[in-house]
Amino acid sequence: MKKFAAYTSSLLVTGSLFLGACSPNSTNTAANNTTNVTTSGSGAPIPIGIAVAQTGPVSLLGQEQVTGAKIAEKYFNDQGGINGTPIKLVFQDTTGDEAGAINAFQTLITRDKVVGIVGPTLSQQAFGADPVAERAKVPVLGPSNTAKGVPQIGDYIARVSAPISVVAPNAVKAVLKLNPQIKKVAVFYAQNDAFSKSETETFQQTVKDQNLDLVTVQKFQTTDTDFQTQVTNALNLKPDLVIISGLAADGGNLVRQLRELGYKGVIVGGNGLNTSNLFSVCKALCDGIVIAQAYSPEHSGEVNAAFRKAYQDQYKKEPPQFSAQAFAGVQVFVEALEKMGDQAKANPGAIAELRTALNQQVLTGKYETPLGEIAFTPDGEVVQKEFYVAQIKMDEDGNNGKFVFLK
Amino acid sequence: MNFTLFFQQFLNGLSIGSVYAIFALGYTLIFSILGIINFAHGAIFTLGAYFTYSLMGGAFGFNGLLANASLPVQLPFALALLLGSGLAGLVGVAVERIAFQPLRQRQADPLLTVVSSLGVAVVIVNLIQYLVGAEIYTFPNNTYGDLPAALNFGTAAQPIMIRTVQVIIFAVSVVILGILTFLINRTKFGKAMKAVAEDPTTASLLGINPDRFIILTFFVSSFLGGLAGTLVGSSVGIAGPYFGIGFGLKGLAVIVLGGLGSIPGAVLGGLVIGLVEAFVPSDYSAYKDAAAFGILFLMLLVRPQGLLGRTFVQKV
Repeated sequence: MKKFAAYTSSLLVTGSLFLGACSPNSTNTAANNTTNVTTSGSGAPIPIGIAVAQTGPVSLLGQEQVTGAKIAEKYFNDQGGINGTPIKLVFQDTTGDEAGAINAFQTLITRDKVVGIVGPTLSQQAFGADPVAERAKVPVLGPSNTAKGVPQIGDYIARVSAPISVVAPNAVKAVLKLNPQIKKVAVFYAQNDAFSKSETETFQQTVKDQNLDLVTVQKFQTTDTDFQTQVTNALNLKPDLVIISGLAADGGNLVRQLRELGYKGVIVGGNGLNTSNLFSVCKALCDGIVIAQAYSPEHSGEVNAAFRKAYQDQYKKEPPQFSAQAFAGVQVFVEALEKMGDQAKANPGAIAELRTALNQQVLTGKYETPLGEIAFTPDGEVVQKEFYVAQIKMDEDGNNGKFVFLK
Repeated sequence: MNFTLFFQQFLNGLSIGSVYAIFALGYTLIFSILGIINFAHGAIFTLGAYFTYSLMGGAFGFNGLLANASLPVQLPFALALLLGSGLAGLVGVAVERIAFQPLRQRQADPLLTVVSSLGVAVVIVNLIQYLVGAEIYTFPNNTYGDLPAALNFGTAAQPIMIRTVQVIIFAVSVVILGILTFLINRTKFGKAMKAVAEDPTTASLLGINPDRFIILTFFVSSFLGGLAGTLVGSSVGIAGPYFGIGFGLKGLAVIVLGGLGSIPGAVLGGLVIGLVEAFVPSDYSAYKDAAAFGILFLMLLVRPQGLLGRTFVQKV
């Protein structure tokens, strides 16, 4: 019996080890895709760090960001780089958790000597990793960190992603315009994700502000795949509107199970569902989901046209918001460095001064990005001119779909 | 909780539990024969789902190294399921040859085989991501033919609904339990397996080739893992390369709760954990994993051998 008990304990310990080894929490894979580049005054490329989730469940979003950043690198280098000096993106995998993001930031700052960092993917990771950059005085641009309080982490922290408190209410208002009969609302959110938690607070406040009846709040985890319990609990209360804050995999599965269990009402998806990757999860059942967005492929700007074309040439589909935001992050650094003139070509010894000057420059400029015109408040909050609300329209076979913009 | 809701959650619990059970059957098979845990089983589960998906669609995804590759044929679901699970079985055999056999030959500590299988699991998961990307893949809507999306057992005012795919998974797990029980208790193959489990040296003196039976066990176990992965994948989509990890841990809880090495125990454990999760109050539903593992912890304190496990007595 002793032997059995010992074996059982070792199984459980090993189980935990397995989680650590295999899950997105693992930090072992963080060192891929790196290039050793140093800043110099002799025309050597200027290194900009990209720290996003390349592996793990969030990698679905992180890989979209990698794509957007790579398109930006090629686009700006083709345009002559920074006053003739090319940029070189240095990629670090943050995996999906805070430890991974901290490791990636530290490596980019100390080993790769980047001038600034675009990243991390999740707000949750930003709260862990951004203080590392703040202490090292390295400017950070969050490409998709929409939770409350991210720019307030420090003087060197800014974001190109509009806070969810600004974006999310638009979707609820749009569905009420489409269907004024909506009264009862069920809210679902991933409680293990800081962004979803923050977003659901905004959604719930909007529901109250619009005098709707919040009949239930159901929680889940981003790692969940089965939502039958939560869905049947909610459907018992007969909601007219379901609002979901989660990521594409869990959110899409939740949509699928809601529809398969007979829910026919309107679904509003949060920012985590704002990706064409959702289509492959809920297929035909994605049809009709309403999502507020910070990016529209149809935005009429020169940079967006170039970005959209480059993306379409490569992937044969419309670019997602996460790619556009990563592009915008790189663009802000590039244009700020351009404005700094010769100071951008700092030698390795002067990297600290360059980073500080870059941070100041980033916050003072106006940028015409794929997202439209953006600027920053003094504490790093993005000021974006335009927002969009789209409804998903799927093809009949359910394999392809698009975001159709609601005016 | 009124009766309708109780019955609804009971059905939810059974359907979720049968998913855990079918996954845990493969785990427990290897444990019952070899007395070791194959931590690569979660990765095999994921692989099985990808194999079937690719054989059905004739393609390998959009972002990985195999993005532009395609297969000359697209198989119907049933055939793809069998072939995909068979391929998962072959990978299981390869895992045995790479991660287990060399250590067994050196009579290494069983804990080392656990670590070795963990290593293989990590490699497989990363390889999947490298080859097919991180996207989620969903089986086509008509995978099971033109069946309705949900079965309704209740009235219009108080509907009791369950997804048809869950009923299919439940039915398949019952059939597999029957086949496995028959295979192990009523056939020469099963008796030979048990003999190898009892004492490989004596078994080989009786004319049984233990190595061959170990390979067969890994094949059957991984076949079941691949089959489970496909069935779950058809229910919730293949949620990326990390898809099997959560199920791997839950499967471990299931076999410990049911009784290590007990095949009916794996099914019972799966159903119990599924029901426990379903009856977690709705406000705390995000904590259903904690409830499941809490039950496991209590079981270890009260009945360490699990629900249907035997107490092992070692004579000295």
